[in-house]
Parts: sequence; structure tokens; C-alpha cells
Amino acid sequence: MTTTPSRPTTSAPASVPSQDGSGSTTRAAGRVGPLVGSAAAEARAHLVEVLDARQQGRSLPGAAYTDADLHELDLALLWQRQWIFVGTVAEVPEPGDYVTVELGTASVLVLRDDDEEVRAFRNVCRHRGARLVEEPKGSVGNIVCGYHRWTYATDGRLIHAPQLAPVEDGGVDPACLSLRTVHLREVAGLLFVCLAPEPPDDLDTLSRTVAPYLAPHALGRTKVAAQVDLVEAGNWKLTMENNRECYHCEGHADLVCTFFPTWGLADHEVPPRLRAAHDRYLLAEEGLHLACEERGMPYAPVEDLVEPPLGFRIQREALDGHGESFSRDGSRLVQRLLGELDEARLGRLTLHAQPNLWCHAMADHVVTFAVLPLGVDRTLVRTTWLVHEDAVEGVDYDVDSLTEVWRHTNEEDAAFVGLTQAGVADPAYEPGPYSVAERQVDDFVSWYVARMREEVSR
Amino acid sequence: MTVNPLSWADPDPVAPALRLVPDLPLPPDPLGADVLPPEASLDQEVLVRRVVPLTHDVVQVVLEPTRPGGVAFTPGQYLTLGVEVDGRHVERCYTISSPPTRPHLLSLTVKRVPDGEVSTYLHDRVRPGDRLQVTGPLGGFSVAEHPSRRYLLLSAGSGVTPTLATLRTMADLAELEATGSALDVVVVHSARTPDDLVARAEVEALAATHPGLRVHWVCETDGAPDRSGPWSGPRGRLTADLLRAFAPDVADREVFTCGPPGYMAAARLLLAEVGADPARCHEESFVLGTAGAPAAAAAAAAAAAQGAAEGAAPAASSRADAAGTEGEVEGHLLAAPAPSAPAPVATSVTFARSGCEVACPAGTTVLAAAEQAGVRLPSSCAEGMCGTCKSTLLSGRVEMKHAGGIRPREIAQDKFLPCCSTPDGDIVVDA
Ligand code: FES
Ligand code: FES
Ligand SMILES: [Fe+2]
Repeated sequence: MTTTPSRPTTSAPASVPSQDGSGSTTRAAGRVGPLVGSAAAEARAHLVEVLDARQQGRSLPGAAYTDADLHELDLALLWQRQWIFVGTVAEVPEPGDYVTVELGTASVLVLRDDDEEVRAFRNVCRHRGARLVEEPKGSVGNIVCGYHRWTYATDGRLIHAPQLAPVEDGGVDPACLSLRTVHLREVAGLLFVCLAPEPPDDLDTLSRTVAPYLAPHALGRTKVAAQVDLVEAGNWKLTMENNRECYHCEGHADLVCTFFPTWGLADHEVPPRLRAAHDRYLLAEEGLHLACEERGMPYAPVEDLVEPPLGFRIQREALDGHGESFSRDGSRLVQRLLGELDEARLGRLTLHAQPNLWCHAMADHVVTFAVLPLGVDRTLVRTTWLVHEDAVEGVDYDVDSLTEVWRHTNEEDAAFVGLTQAGVADPAYEPGPYSVAERQVDDFVSWYVARMREEVSR
Repeated sequence: MTVNPLSWADPDPVAPALRLVPDLPLPPDPLGADVLPPEASLDQEVLVRRVVPLTHDVVQVVLEPTRPGGVAFTPGQYLTLGVEVDGRHVERCYTISSPPTRPHLLSLTVKRVPDGEVSTYLHDRVRPGDRLQVTGPLGGFSVAEHPSRRYLLLSAGSGVTPTLATLRTMADLAELEATGSALDVVVVHSARTPDDLVARAEVEALAATHPGLRVHWVCETDGAPDRSGPWSGPRGRLTADLLRAFAPDVADREVFTCGPPGYMAAARLLLAEVGADPARCHEESFVLGTAGAPAAAAAAAAAAAQGAAEGAAPAASSRADAAGTEGEVEGHLLAAPAPSAPAPVATSVTFARSGCEVACPAGTTVLAAAEQAGVRLPSSCAEGMCGTCKSTLLSGRVEMKHAGGIRPREIAQDKFLPCCSTPDGDIVVDA
């Protein structure tokens, strides 16, 4: 079974009452697309104010999460300029397979071409601009516009335009009407796109660092076992912030079976009630490191969260219980292990990349999370479970059990995010201090402030 | 909107009108021009009014449109009839046998096809007051499309239905009178026995009262003793001699041929033999969409291919109102020459949803065959690029030369592109 969620609505962002006194929230009501003219200048000035107002060690001012104009700037300066995670190679296994991703009003078509290369295009017809491919995913022969049937090869060339005057008769050269390309890079099976004409060059660093960690999981030889789209009622930054700490993990009944609750804490920060769990963690870590060293698999944390446009963190860590997978007792969920792995007890390899990815790779499966903003207070979390391409559903794995822990955890997280969104929109909200377990949240927010400062000053 | 009055200046009423005086006789107006309204969609629910037995195995189904204002079509066109049989929606194409001059009722002439789902239903189960669905009109096999003073209407079996609609229209429009501008129509219809002559009394009465119409029946054999009894008219198969006798001026006639494929193939050869003008020969075939038919269809198609090779054959199309006798018609009523062995084998293409079946000569794409059958498939590039025509193959195989418009995975799911596929043997398409 593949869980096929319905496409989340990407219509006008639900209007959030302006509670921060700026009055700017309602200004954007009904408008779709980037700000222009004086409104743009005003929004930029407001953004700088908000960035200036942020205090180290505390969350962002409310407007950063609730102001529709600031959200437009998030889209324009960040989502349409940085490298964005859009999915994995397993989602486009065969030539003609595609996924579409909306980054604000920009739609990107990611598809595997006839030479088995994954490419990305602007999802806009070169004729009269119709949205080319409507579905969030599917398969095409050539790429055909539904309006007047202009047809593009999978490499973007226009190959059929009914009744378009030929060049000899003064018509436009079809060679000038290829689909507009979008930068796309694959990192060990993870796909990133960038809408900027000149993308930031830090993807290479990420690639060099994380590829050896991901390689043993052989994402190129996986298939999608399930995918679930969940829409959280919160700003995308709250979704990311929530994910960067396990301070709230007591709220995840399923996850705490395998997730050590002292995640993010240094030894001396562990509270006495979690001491036993932490000791178990240390023991499991030792075992994991041994197993990794035997197999030449990297496990040490690498972290560069604040400086680069594509801030990231990667580490292989132990899981509680059997230590194999995200099940109730930590035992594996898929009998067929990924790639050539000969050991199931390899914990979780966790990669986090800003602005919109985290993923866990276990010996038996990989689960990726793509965060995509739908509006200032609506965020799509797309969760995808990958298993070995030869694993057989019903024999090697069961989709319900495979997805159970993260389905529940995501729903719980969605509730936390919704609560936070409601709170930060309340006039009583003021940014509070982070705990020691929330250092990475602080890093994320600092990264956001740095990115936006840099982009807004261009 | 306002109109600039200057651009709509009245023509000067005193300027002499320029008149073209042709030195050749003007071609006649199409049948019903200026009298009948232009064809219009008749898609709607219809009420069954009567079911009248015409012969031992043919009924006339009279339908009443539920939309006021009547229907508009040209004689020879057909419609798609949708019925619910045991909870399933089934569709078949039937010629409209009533004339467009009687726009408030639609008649279909339906022969019982053994095991035919729809014909059995219409014969045995349908009752006045029942509601059916029709869509159309479809097809261009019509004298109205080919204006002429002289016609030869050839038919066999259930192929008589377009002839009936045509004769009724001509008579209603008083086009079969003895005056100078009237039409001259010769009808030659082949049947197995006189018991199988549909609407014989009506057609003979029309001939008796309309000087422009001559009718010739050709029967293979006698009727049953308790029905029509012995047959005294022309017997056996249609031959070149018979054709010359019925229409010595065939070269000057617009010829319409309608019947099962075997009949059509043979008729085509006969017409060539007696000197008919291939450019003025039009045809439509009726194929039985049930077991037993493919053999007839294939043989007919082979003959059709042979005709095509001689450049004399308009491509054949068909509809399914037909008939159980097609298998018998083949080889009995006509002197169909056995196709020479290496002739390229043409095939039968059946469109399951409409029930239409068409003989597809070798080298003809499924899309072209569908168009000729009046089955409308979406298409754009016609070169296998855009995938617009993508359809499902329910049975049989095709040879496809596509240009990226379809994926192997889709092909594995029996999808194909009719615009760039030729049948490899008989096929059934979900369309
Ligand atoms: S807008 Fe795409 S073909 Fe016309
Ligand atoms: S019409 Fe374009 S593929 Fe058939
Ligand atoms: Fe959580």
C-alpha cells in the first residue's frame, strides 16, 4: 500500500489576525505573489526590524511567524533562492516519473528524463503560461500542456506545437521555447532544487560530507513504501523549530520507545530521572560505534548549522530497545535490509538540513521529511518511507506497522505546532528563553536571521 | 457592443446586381438544403414509444426525444444507444432509420443478434415508457453529403437501414417526383430470403407511387412456406450482369454501399467491373460484434485491402446495428472472390464502448480507422508524441511506433497510442 494523500490546498493563506501591533498582516489579504513597489520596501524595512528585535537564545518575535508580508519575503529571499529538498530518487524511479513542488507561487517539475537523469523545470508552459503538470506526482510520456497540447520532450525541448508557424514563415524557433530549467542536485539519493539563477555553492560541501553516511543505505535502490502529507497549522519555522529538540519528546508515546529522551543533552545536563535512560544510551552508542567501525561506516556528528545557506547536521546515533528501527520495541520493520547491509542494529542516521529537510536512515528503511510552506500559518510536512526495492509488501514489511510511529509522532508534532502558532499570534506572546536541550532550535533561528539579513541587504 | 454604422452601410439598392450565368448546369443542392435544419446534437434521454416487429427477427424501436423541438440529422447518420442491461451500462451504434423530416420521433431498426446483449434486450425486454440514452448524430455516410441527381443505393442484410432513412427523406421532401429536377434513385438490396426483406411493403409502395425510385430485391433462396414462400425475383448473389441490368448508367451515379464487410468487398469489385466511378462510391459496413463475426470481418478486410491496393477503395467503416446474418451473407449472397493468398491481411478493430467495429486495411492506424467509423478519439500530434490519444487495448495486439508519448509501464498495462499503431490481428479497443 502506498498512502496517497490528497493534495494540500495551496490557495490563499488563511488570514491571521494581526496581533503584533504592526497592522501589516491584513495588508496582504487576497494578494498572491511577491510584493512590489513601496509595499515591498515597507515589508523589507519591517523584516529588518523584526530581525533586529530577535534576541540570541530566544525565539523570534511574533510577526516572523504571523505576518503575511514577511512570509512573502521568506518565500522570495529564502525558498526561491536557497537549495530546497524536494524528495528522493525513489519518488521518480522510471523515465517520465515526476513530482511537482510548489515554492510559494513557483511550481517546480522534477522528473526523470529518458536518459535516466533527474531534471527540474519550471512548471510553466512556454505558450501561454498554463501550469504544465497539475498532479503532485505521476508519470508522463513526454510533457504535454493540457491547454493547447504543446509537447516537450523530457529534456525540456519543445517537440510539438500544433499550428505554430514554422520559422521559415517568420514563426518563433521552437528551440527558443524549451522549458525553463531549474538547478537540481542529487546528494546520495536526496534531491535538491534551487530557483536562483546562481545557486549558493555550499551544496558541494554538504554532498561531500553526508554522502558517505548515506551511501550504505543505497537510496538509489529503494522504493517508496508509503507517503503521507500532513498540513500543520503553523508557520514553517515553527515546524522546523519543533523538530530541532526533544525537550517535548515525552509527548510522543510511540517515539519514546526507541528515541533516547536525553537527546541533545550533554552528560552533565541529564536530569536524575533520565539517568538510567542515558546510561542505556551511552551503552548503545558504544555498541553502535563498534558496529560502524567494523563496517567502515561514519557515525560521528558533523554540524554546521548557522553559517552556510544550507545549514546541516548529520550523525549516526543509537536507538533504544533492539536498536534497529522505529518500532515499539526497536526491532526491524522491514526484513529485507537496505543496500548490502548485513547488520540490522545500526541505529538511526539522522540528517537535518535547513530550511526544510530531516531524515532518518535505519538499516531496514529510510524515512524522509520535507517541509514546504503553504501559507504564513500553514505548512506541509511530507513524510516518505523508503524500503529496499526488492522488499515485498505483506511479506517483508507491513505498511501500517512501518509507518505507525511517525504517523502518530507527526500528528502530535502538528498539534504542538498548532498550539505554538496560536500562542505566537496572541498579543501576550513574547519570545521566551531556550533550554539547554534546545540549542539546535537556537541555531536554526540564528541561521534564519543570518540568511534573511544577508538576502535582504542584497 | 456598439457597431460603427459606416461599416454596415446598406448596399446601394439601385446598383445592378452582378449575376453569374453559368454555362454548366449547377450541381444540385444537397438533399434537404434550405428545408431541413443543420445537424445538431441529439444527446438526451429518450422514451420508448413502440416496438414493432418488422420481420421474424427485426423490430423497429420508436423513440421519443425528451427535449422539445425535435432532432436534426442527415439521413444515413447513426446514434449511440445506451441501455442498462442487468445493472450494466451498454452502448451500441444504430442507424437512425426514420427520416429527419419527422423530427419528433426516432426509429431504429434492430435485428436480433443471437447472444447480442443489446439487441436481445430491445427485442425481448424493452417496454413502452422505458428510458434510454442516445448520443449523436454520428457519421457522414449520407446522400446529403454528396449531392447528385442520380443515386445507386446498394445494401445487404441490415445495411438496408440507411437506405430506408434516405428513401423516406426523399419521399417526404417530394424529391422522387417525375419533374425535371427530381432525383433518380435505384435501390438494389440483397437478403437471404424474402422473409428477411425489411420494410418491403413500405419500400415497394414508395416505388409504386414515386416515379424517381426503382427497387430491386435479390434473394439467395426461398422464404419459409408459412411466411413469404417461394422467391420469384432475382436469385442468388449479386453479379455484374444484374448490376448492369439494374443500373446501366452506373458510371453517372453516386453509389452508396452498406452491408457486412464481405458484401462490401465483393460489391467494390463488382462496381469496378461495371465501370462505377471510384470517386463517387461511398461505403459503410455493418459488422456483427459477437462471436462468429471476426472470420467474416477478416475475410472482408482482406478483400478490402486488395481493393485498397488497386486504389479504388474508400476506407470502410462500420457500425454495429447489424445482424446475425452477416456470417451467412459472406460467401452466399455475393460472388466474393477468394482473396489471393499473400494479400496483406487487414483486420477488424472493435471499439468496445460504442460497439462500433471497423475493417482496418493494412497500414491504416487505429486512430484513422476510428475516425472513419465515426468514433471520436482525442488526438493532437498524430505522431505518438503527445499521448493525447492514449487508449486501452482490451484484446489483440498492435504494432506501435511512438515518439515518447507513452511509457513501457503503460504499455505493460495494455495502454497504446492509436495514432501510431496498426493492428496486428483483430483488436478490441476500450473506446
Ligand atoms: S498554454 Fe500550454 S499549450 Fe497553450
Ligand atoms: S495523438 Fe499524439 S500521441 Fe497520439
Ligand atoms: Fe516531536
